[in-house]
Amino acid sequence: MIELNQVIKAFEQEKAVDGVTMQVHKGSIYGLLGSNGAGKTSLLKILAGIYRQDSGTVRIDGQEIYENMDLKGRTIFMADAPYFFPQSSIHQMAAFYRSVYPRWNEERFVQLGSVFKLDVKRKLHRMSKGMRRQAAVWLGLSCMPEVLLMDEPIDGLDPVMRQQIKNLLFQEAAERQVTILISSHNLREIEDLCDHVAIMHKGRIIVEKDLDDLKADTHKIQVAFRHPDHAKAMDEQVNILHEEQRGSVSLFIVKGNREVVTERFRAFDPYLLDVLPLTLEEIFIYEMEDAGYDIQPIVL
Amino acid sequence: MFELDVRSRKAIYEQLVDKIKEMIVYGVLQPDEQLPSVRTLSGQLTVNPNTIQKAYRELEREGYIYSLQGKGSFVSSSVEHPNAAMRDEIRAALVKLIAEASYSGLSKADMTLLFEEAMARIEKGEPHD
Repeated sequence: MIELNQVIKAFEQEKAVDGVTMQVHKGSIYGLLGSNGAGKTSLLKILAGIYRQDSGTVRIDGQEIYENMDLKGRTIFMADAPYFFPQSSIHQMAAFYRSVYPRWNEERFVQLGSVFKLDVKRKLHRMSKGMRRQAAVWLGLSCMPEVLLMDEPIDGLDPVMRQQIKNLLFQEAAERQVTILISSHNLREIEDLCDHVAIMHKGRIIVEKDLDDLKADTHKIQVAFRHPDHAKAMDEQVNILHEEQRGSVSLFIVKGNREVVTERFRAFDPYLLDVLPLTLEEIFIYEMEDAGYDIQPIVL
Repeated sequence: MFELDVRSRKAIYEQLVDKIKEMIVYGVLQPDEQLPSVRTLSGQLTVNPNTIQKAYRELEREGYIYSLQGKGSFVSSSVEHPNAAMRDEIRAALVKLIAEASYSGLSKADMTLLFEEAMARIEKGEPHD
């Protein structure tokens, strides 16, 4: 279980993490989404004990992680660009991990070899980006972590490997109750990987929820009203995130219970009423717009 | 065993619940038959185990399945017909389809004929496509 309470981290004057409070339950796969520069990586580095927060508390299983050897031995942080020693091979890196991580499991390392099919003797700097990523996952999982922090883990992998690694993560969560925190801006990946998501913007978390609840809670409504005044009247009745007029059809993005919202719209007896769930990508864009970060119409 | 549409806007757990319900209602899954474990299904479908757990919990809450401590989940024997919620859904879908049919030029007589044909086939026990 990971608990953060009012965590703040600033670099010079700039607050990278600005009062983040969140909880990640054991065995959960948690997705951290956010605009570029939102503070996702800084947050992960605080959780990995690489940075020390300026204020607030960070607890993993009730303990502070910073300078905590025992806890760090059970936590794996996979950086967005995996780091390996110059000129080293997987074989040599495995020897290093073995000497540092007390829970290193040789049997598991060998088992995982059949999944990754990488040459352990080949130098890592001669491998492709995707292969290095695979090597990082291979080494990380062999350390039998209890907490797995992954920064953009799916980046650069081919579709087969992506499925393979997802399956491995699911097994970790189901069988060993590993807590997994993943940052990404690839929403498609997060959508079928995570059970909880948080959306970050400018160092703050603007939405945090069970992914299914988030989807069940936001709706795209296409409606053609009998009278233009009806559209205005809706403003007071439901929580509208976004509104758009396309000819005679209005498009609303509305938050709230599906039945209640539908009922409100139906009360005006519109010509057309379609209620659709949103994709995570759409939710992300509309939530960001609400937070003042929206797509500007650009004409060049 | 199941096909999920990851591109669908519908939540994955909802899809799972609907699929399993369908299989129970149509008898593909027999009463007291064991459902695959969360772990197996997670591996087969590449779906988050917590999502599958959630779908199973929902099915249990609605009375479609029951679980035995340490043994797994099983299909309830009491389920016989689609429940009220499912009927509402089908009703809404039918109304929409009838409206579309009417716009596309099918007359009331055409539709009545189709309806009777379909009912006759069901009564004779012929498979529908």
